[in-house]
Amino acid sequence: MSFEEQYESEGAVATRPDDPWVAIVWNDPVNLMSYVVYVFQKHFGFARHEAEAHMREVHELGKSVVASGGREQMEIHVQAMHGYGLWATLQRSGE
Amino acid sequence: MRAFEDRDGVAVAELDEQERMVVARIVADVGLMLSGETFGMGDTPPLDTLQGADAILGYLRGLEEFLAEPGDPAVLRLLPNAAPTDREVSDEFRRLTEGDLRQLKVDRLRVMWQQLSEDGPEWEVTAEDALATASALTDVRLVLASRLSLETDEDAERLHTEIELATHALATDEDRELDVDHERVWLGMLYQALTWLQDSLVEFLMAADGEDSHE
Repeated sequence: MSFEEQYESEGAVATRPDDPWVAIVWNDPVNLMSYVVYVFQKHFGFARHEAEAHMREVHELGKSVVASGGREQMEIHVQAMHGYGLWATLQRSGE
Repeated sequence: MRAFEDRDGVAVAELDEQERMVVARIVADVGLMLSGETFGMGDTPPLDTLQGADAILGYLRGLEEFLAEPGDPAVLRLLPNAAPTDREVSDEFRRLTEGDLRQLKVDRLRVMWQQLSEDGPEWEVTAEDALATASALTDVRLVLASRLSLETDEDAERLHTEIELATHALATDEDRELDVDHERVWLGMLYQALTWLQDSLVEFLMAADGEDSHE
């Protein structure tokens, strides 16, 4: 899976634990629920039920926090989600 | 049109000549919008040499004009802001990733265009290409959704009802009274067909993964 490799190569990036960021996936009327579940499983390595829980949050609540950590890591996740055609953003945790 | 099904580990859908032409054309349009690159120029017959393609040509022209607009909202659907409330984060993200994202999307669209340009009614997608093709289908659907102003789940549901009403009106010759927007209905039906195809391709992917985990 591509993310694992990217994550490894980003492992040396210093992240401040007191300034964590989050990656958020937002609802849109286009992406199929099955596709979103599949992408979450592939990219984040979520188990099926976990991927489905995040998908339901997106669909029913409008968004789901799919990852947290350093800014660079969150940028990698957001870039991957945009690659898949999902609407994702990053922001400082707690904003 | 037949949805994707598993034939010996390959996802195969069936589209007639006109359906393949239309899908290949919109795939090429989205590729052109993202990169300025023209897929297979000269390899395919122009749309208007195919019988009965006049109306379709008109509908696609409307879409092409929309895609050529400066500040195209469809581009923003494919390459969204990564931090809408933080300009600095958003700009830096765009600077670092936009080139790669455009390239990724254009490469996938080109592969899909090549699949559709093969002879015969079958649209064959190898297991290796299936996720990339499903993602390319998302990009094409995002562009169509932008053209159709689908912003909420309710908009998407309304489109479905709208198409049913229009189809009924056309079948009973009442379309003049109902004031049917033919271009919108046609693009809406194309959007629905691509949704249906993508859904079957994702089903293929999930089934393939299920088999792997049982090995």
